[in-house]
Amino acid sequence: MAPLLRVSGLCKRFGEIVVADNVSFALARGECLGVIGPNGAGKSSLLNLIVGLLTADGGSIMLDDKEITGLPPHQRARMGLGRAFQIPQPFPHLSVYENALVAASYGAGLYGEAASDWTMQVLQRTGLDGKADKLAGALPLIDRKRLEFAKALASKPKLILLDEIAAGLTEPEVERLVAVIKSVKADHAMIWIEHIPHALRAVSDRILVLDFGRKVLEGPPAEVMDSAVVREIYMGLKADGVA
Amino acid sequence: MIWVETLINGALLGGLYGLLGIGLALVFGVMRVVNIAHGEFMVLSAFCAVLLSNLFPQVSPLLMLIPVIALSFAVGWLYQAAIVNRVVTSPDPLSPLLLTFGVSVILRNVMVEMFGADVRSLQVGELSRASLEVGGLNIGIMPLLTLVLAALLFMALQLVLRHTEFGRIVRATADRRDIVRLSGVKPDRVYNYVMGLSLALGAIGGVLLAVRSSFTPFSGAERLLIAFEVVVLGGLGSFWGALLGGIALGMAQLIGLKIDPNAGLLYAHLLFFIMLLIRPSGLVSSRV
Repeated sequence: MAPLLRVSGLCKRFGEIVVADNVSFALARGECLGVIGPNGAGKSSLLNLIVGLLTADGGSIMLDDKEITGLPPHQRARMGLGRAFQIPQPFPHLSVYENALVAASYGAGLYGEAASDWTMQVLQRTGLDGKADKLAGALPLIDRKRLEFAKALASKPKLILLDEIAAGLTEPEVERLVAVIKSVKADHAMIWIEHIPHALRAVSDRILVLDFGRKVLEGPPAEVMDSAVVREIYMGLKADGVA
Repeated sequence: MIWVETLINGALLGGLYGLLGIGLALVFGVMRVVNIAHGEFMVLSAFCAVLLSNLFPQVSPLLMLIPVIALSFAVGWLYQAAIVNRVVTSPDPLSPLLLTFGVSVILRNVMVEMFGADVRSLQVGELSRASLEVGGLNIGIMPLLTLVLAALLFMALQLVLRHTEFGRIVRATADRRDIVRLSGVKPDRVYNYVMGLSLALGAIGGVLLAVRSSFTPFSGAERLLIAFEVVVLGGLGSFWGALLGGIALGMAQLIGLKIDPNAGLLYAHLLFFIMLLIRPSGLVSSRV
């Protein structure tokens, strides 16, 4: 069976700064790929290239065997991509419910009661059902993070892209969010950028390491996290240094 | 007593001014674009109404509003799709300003070419002179109907934006036009409908103003000025503010005319100027 997502030879640069340097990888249905790397390694840019907020200079992105490299973001969203941002980007003057409903209506193509039922289901799963009528702009950080996830989920994506969704949260908050992410993992493929190693280990099937826009390593979580390369470039420690 | 009547008539005129402003406020609130050609489109819709009522003299000119509104919606949709969408995401706020200014100049000259520079008005016969006697006050039926219509339209717009699928998408796009794409929405399409709606609302104001006072192809600039003052007075992007702003302007204008019959819109402009100095954020400062 063909992979759900196939990225091949993806390139993107802003002048001197290279954010994607010949990046290739594939993702199977239901698989969770963790992405790590130092700040500025091109992790968020990789997600933006996949959803179409950035256009690639070269290479190709295939979703479900269809070329999506040149498509605008709204078409890619309808084809099954949902993205959650590191810095939450809600529609601040819409309620939590309406925020998710927009994705359910346009991303998932649902109408009327089907759209509102599905939206409520998503809010329940993400623990936001008690705050459905609150304005998104007035939410505390944890709920804005949940809403990012809810918006991504509401569009019924085949592939969910999570960008440091656990960053900035307290330890118990991270645990609750990871539990939610785990609960939807069975039905969705995922690419998850995160700096919190144990959260990634708990969910990822594979981990990909980016540095200066290049893929430097890809493999099972335990192997990658313990590798000398990761300790050196990601943790900022020498391979033989004290951990 | 005469002053009370002036204030009431000013408020009634304000309903009309609110209608001139609301289309501009809608477009500004949703896409942060000031449509300089809004005035010319209002004049164009007035010409359409005159043309139609000349073609069908037996039909009341006010009924011509219906086809003119539909036509204006279509024109607005196409105007946005073909022209304004090219610059709406431009990082330079000057681009949409210059482009819509260019459209206003072209429209004005096309109207001179098509309709000549003569002064026109829309005749509704007895209705324009009819008035009510209430407690010794003389209140015009037509201005009263205009204010009621304006209030109803403002309410309808509010309801549409708050409680319909269309309104939700418009508000989401107004909030984050980049992010809404990731939920599967194409902002350009939303903008097309918003501009259509804006010009349809402008058409109602334009046609009703043509009943009240005469116009030429050059009247667009003055209409835009009123619309602009209404929007800024009310607070950019706020709809009820626009109605309040319109009423304030209407009152200032009629009080000014009472003091000095040659003043024209001077006192309305002065009110705008003073308000800009003391409360630049407008009467009601909020967004769509």
